[in-house]
Order: sequence, then structure tokens, then C-alpha cells
Amino acid sequence: MITPAGLAEALLWGVANGCIYILLATGLNLIFGVMKLVNFAHGQLLMVGAFVAYEATVIAGLNPYLSIFVAMGSVALIGVVLEKFAFRRVRGTEKLNEIFISLGLIYVFQNVATLFWAENYNIRIPSSLAGLNLSLGSIAIGYDRILAMVIVAVILVGLVLLTKKTKFGLAMRATSQKSDAAMLMGININRVYIYTFAIGAALAGAAGALYGILFSFNPAIGALPTIKGFAIIILGGLGSIPGAVVGGLLYGIAENSTAYILTDPSVLGNAGSWPDAISFILLIIVLIIRPTGLFGKKGE
Amino acid sequence: MDFKAELLKAIRSRKFIFLIVALVLMAVLPLLVRSEYIIGSVLTLMLVYAIYASSWNLLAYSGQGSLGHAAFLGIGAFASALFATKLGLPLIVGIFVGGLISAGIGLLIGLACVRLKAWFLAMVTFGFTVIILAIMSQFDSFFGGMIGFPTPTLFPQPQYFPLYYVALAFAAASVVVIFWAMKSKLGLAFKAIRENESEAKMVGINTGLYKLLAFVISTFFAGLAGGLYAQSNLTVQVSIFDPAFSFLPLIMSVIGGLATIEGPIIGAVVIVSINSFLPLTDKYLQILHPLFPGVTQVGPQLREIFLGMFLILVVIFMPKGLTSLFHKAYDYLRKDIGKVKKLEGH
Repeated sequence: MITPAGLAEALLWGVANGCIYILLATGLNLIFGVMKLVNFAHGQLLMVGAFVAYEATVIAGLNPYLSIFVAMGSVALIGVVLEKFAFRRVRGTEKLNEIFISLGLIYVFQNVATLFWAENYNIRIPSSLAGLNLSLGSIAIGYDRILAMVIVAVILVGLVLLTKKTKFGLAMRATSQKSDAAMLMGININRVYIYTFAIGAALAGAAGALYGILFSFNPAIGALPTIKGFAIIILGGLGSIPGAVVGGLLYGIAENSTAYILTDPSVLGNAGSWPDAISFILLIIVLIIRPTGLFGKKGE
Repeated sequence: MDFKAELLKAIRSRKFIFLIVALVLMAVLPLLVRSEYIIGSVLTLMLVYAIYASSWNLLAYSGQGSLGHAAFLGIGAFASALFATKLGLPLIVGIFVGGLISAGIGLLIGLACVRLKAWFLAMVTFGFTVIILAIMSQFDSFFGGMIGFPTPTLFPQPQYFPLYYVALAFAAASVVVIFWAMKSKLGLAFKAIRENESEAKMVGINTGLYKLLAFVISTFFAGLAGGLYAQSNLTVQVSIFDPAFSFLPLIMSVIGGLATIEGPIIGAVVIVSINSFLPLTDKYLQILHPLFPGVTQVGPQLREIFLGMFLILVVIFMPKGLTSLFHKAYDYLRKDIGKVKKLEGH
């Protein structure tokens, strides 16, 4: 039975799921905005983040929510290596080259992860809050999801402060607008690029740790989130953090409510891959009506 | 218009002679190897993927990089098999109908895509594959679900030998048509659009129409490749819509050499060879097994890691693909011959 309360609950849980997409899309947006780089292996960074957080929780016995920081740090390090040894080498050449490099990285990450973690198929990061729900009248929501929303909000506020209030943020924005001019003004754009990529990767790592707390995961989970992340920044407009927030929430809600409605026995009884498809249907409709995205500026 | 002149020009070009030589070689090869596995699973697959990768490459030639070409491969495969089983159409007709249906759907997707910039288009095509998969999973009884269903065959079993020559004929015809499309005025327009769309529009090219044309031609050949793929595989499964199948023609084209006619063919040969012969090294790689106790076989993963690294290294160190090696060797040889001639002249 589809009830208003059930639907409201699906929406609320969708908002929580959307938070993970927001982190992912913001990271992509940052990297794309500053470096004009399209990294299709971003979702693989999320996957690595999830596994690192898992190891930190299970082996080192860390609190799952503290393991988020471990994941952010290690994935940021991976990001530094990727920027320095792969993406930097094709900077300024044809745009497609970056996409090709990231496709190669997808193969590498996915299979390295399989080699190391294949026995941990569909695991979850054990959280002491798992299964505990806060009930608000007829609606209930997991404490894990509430915490995830809070963490994402804190990270986003931190990011906005970093880009708007610090000197480094100023350098980032300058590089994003015109890298040549920024270089002439004495900004070391190589350093800006490497830090930007590291921050973007760290956001993916945090998203991965949260993903691992909320859902079960395996080495192959990276592919769809990447594409959804891109779809979100297309919807929300390139380079805009509020756009990524709106897009991410929209996707989380759309997916979760589709799953809720279709799983109802009176509709289909089984959502299949429709929750994934609905986000792309949304994207295609938006792009047909507005080829530059919902909040998109003209240009890119 | 000056179709004849264009044709003559194409025939006289060096690449065309290479294509003819390659064709003759490919025609003789199965007579020499005579192994069912090599002919049926390696050589035929090379031909099928050569068509598939060339079709992707043509679309990329017009500046449109698709990340969902598997959709059209799959549509071709399913359409050819379904028309034969459900309507009793002869299979060879089914393969063509598969190509046409694929082109028809390609036209619709193209209509939605022509206004989009490069990687917006990549997203839409990728999303389209996901949507098709979702739709098909609703009709498992009709489409066979994960297990798929066996296709009727073109020839009585075992068909690997005649099928190879059918695939060869299809591949030759497709490559010639795509070669013509690249070298003719059409190709010039594609190239202009790829380099700078607004400038192309300024000199009077109807960019929308040409982009759409590239889409239709490309998806038609992807559909044909799908029909042949189903034949060489003998079953069709929904797993054909997997993103890995979408990335395959891209990887082949890049490794071989993007925006060249021979690139995707070289790429198809290289990748199919890697996929077919590298597994032979698996038993040696098994020495590394104690390092990774979680998996039973380390070979498949190590191979894929190798493939990924290979792609990255090619992009960084050889951005024009393996074909640039051949060009360099050819130039080097010519220079040498030139030197010899100069010496003789003195």
C-alpha cells in the first residue's frame, strides 16, 4: 500500500541518500570547475574510500564516523598521485584524453580492489547506530542517516568557507576563471591543481565512508555514482555548489520515491533497475528542454 | 555530385591498398589455422569488433563521443534474433533489420543529442543504456533475462567457418563505407564540426543535420555488429548492455588511433588478441595467488589492470595510438630509401 506517511518517509530517506550524491557531485564540480578536468574514475575513489573506512573500523577498531577522516586522508593522497602522474601529463591536450585516462583508472581501481577485497563482498561498515530509528510520528528515519546529513552539511560549510574566505580559495577561484592570468599574478597553478584534486578526492572518500555506513558495497559500486554525479552537476549547473546540492537532493528523492512506489505490490512489486534509470530519464528530459542544464550558464 | 572523383581518390589512396592487402590476408588466414577456437572465437570476434569500433570512431570523428554504444550493439543483437525467432524472418534479413532499427533509435537519440556539448552527450548516451536495461528487465520472459536465449543460426552447426566469411564480408563493406564517409565531403563536414562547431556553422554547414547523419550511420553499423555478435556468441543476453561493452569500442579506437580509419581495426585486433591469448598466462600468474587469498583466480584481475595501465600509457606516451608507430616506421623506411636513392644519384 502506498500511504502518504510511507511516501514522506521515502522522501526523507531519499534526502539522506542524496547527501552522498551531493558530496560526490561537489567534488566533481570542484575538480571540473577549477581544472576543467572530467574524471570518470571519481566513483572508484568513493569505492576505495568505503573500503579504507571499513578497514579502519574493523581492523583498527576505529569509530565508523572517525574512520571518515581516515578515508578522506588516504583518498586525498591517491588523488595527489593521480593528478601528478596521470592527469597532469595530458593537461592542455585534447579534452577526450582525460576521459580515456580515467577509463583506464576505472579498470585499475576496480580490479585492484577485487584482488584485495574480493572476500568482503557486499559488506557494510559496522555502525553501532545501525538499525536504530528516530520516529517522528508515523515517520521513522535511521540515526545513521541523520548523522550523515549533519556531516555532509558540516563538510559543505567548511568547503564554502575555504573557497570564499581563505587566500587559497581566492587562488582557486582565480585559477578557475582564467588560469593564464592567475599564473601571471604569481599563483602557482600546479599547486592549486594538485590541492583541488586532493580536496575533490577527499570529498569522494568521505562520500565512500558514508556510503559504506548506509549501504552494503563491493568493488564494483563506483560506476553508477560517477555517472550520477556528473548528471547532477549537469542538472545543477557547472561550478555551482548550491546547484549540486539541489541536484543531489532531487536525485536522492527521485530514486528513493521511485523505488518506494514501484516496489509496492499493486504497482510492479519489484523496482528492478528503475531507480537508476529514473535519474537518467530526468537528466535526458532536462537536457532536451534546456541543453545547458537547469541552472547552467551558457558556455561550457 | 563528384561522387566518381571522390571514389577514384579513395581507391588511389595508400590506405585503400593496405585495406585490400589486409582483406586478402584475412581471407586466407582461416585456411591456414584451421582451429575452431581461433576462427570462431578470435578472428570472427576481431571482425565484429572492428565494425563496432569503427562505427564508434565515425561518431567520434564528428565530435560526438558516445559512452553508450552498447545500447546499439545490443539492439542489433536482440532485434536480429527476435525477428528470426518470433517472426520467422530469414536471419540475414534480421541482421539488416537489426541495423535499421538500431539506426532508427539512433536517430531519435541523435535528435535529443545534437544540441548538446561533448560530454553532456556522453552522459545522455550512457543514461540511455541504463534506461534500456531497466525497460528490458521488466520483460524478462520476452528477452530471456540474465540467461538470455539461443539465437537461430545463419548456417547449420557448426557454423564457425562460413560465419567467418560472412563477418569478413560485412566488415569489409562496413569499413569501406565508413572510409568513404570519412574521406568524402561528409567527412570533411564531420571534421569541421569536431574542430569547431560554431565556425563550421558559420561557413554554412548544417551542423545539426550532419551530426544527426553521423549518429544514424554509426548506429546502423553498431546494430549490424550486434547481429553478427549474436551469431558468433550463439546467445543474446541483456549483459550486452553492460557499460564494459560501451567502453570497448572507445578503448579500441584510442589504442589503435582515434579518428583514423585503421585505428579501430588495429585496436580490435590488439584487444581481442589480449583477451584471447593473455588468459594462457593465467597459470603462471597464479604464483601470485598467496598475496591475494580473497580470489580464486588472480589472472582475470591482473589482466584487466594491465589493460587499464596500457590504455593510460598509450594516452600519455602515444596520443595518436598504435597507428602512429606504423606511420613512423613507414616514414623512417621511406627516408632510408630516399637516402639510398640520393647516394646512387651522386
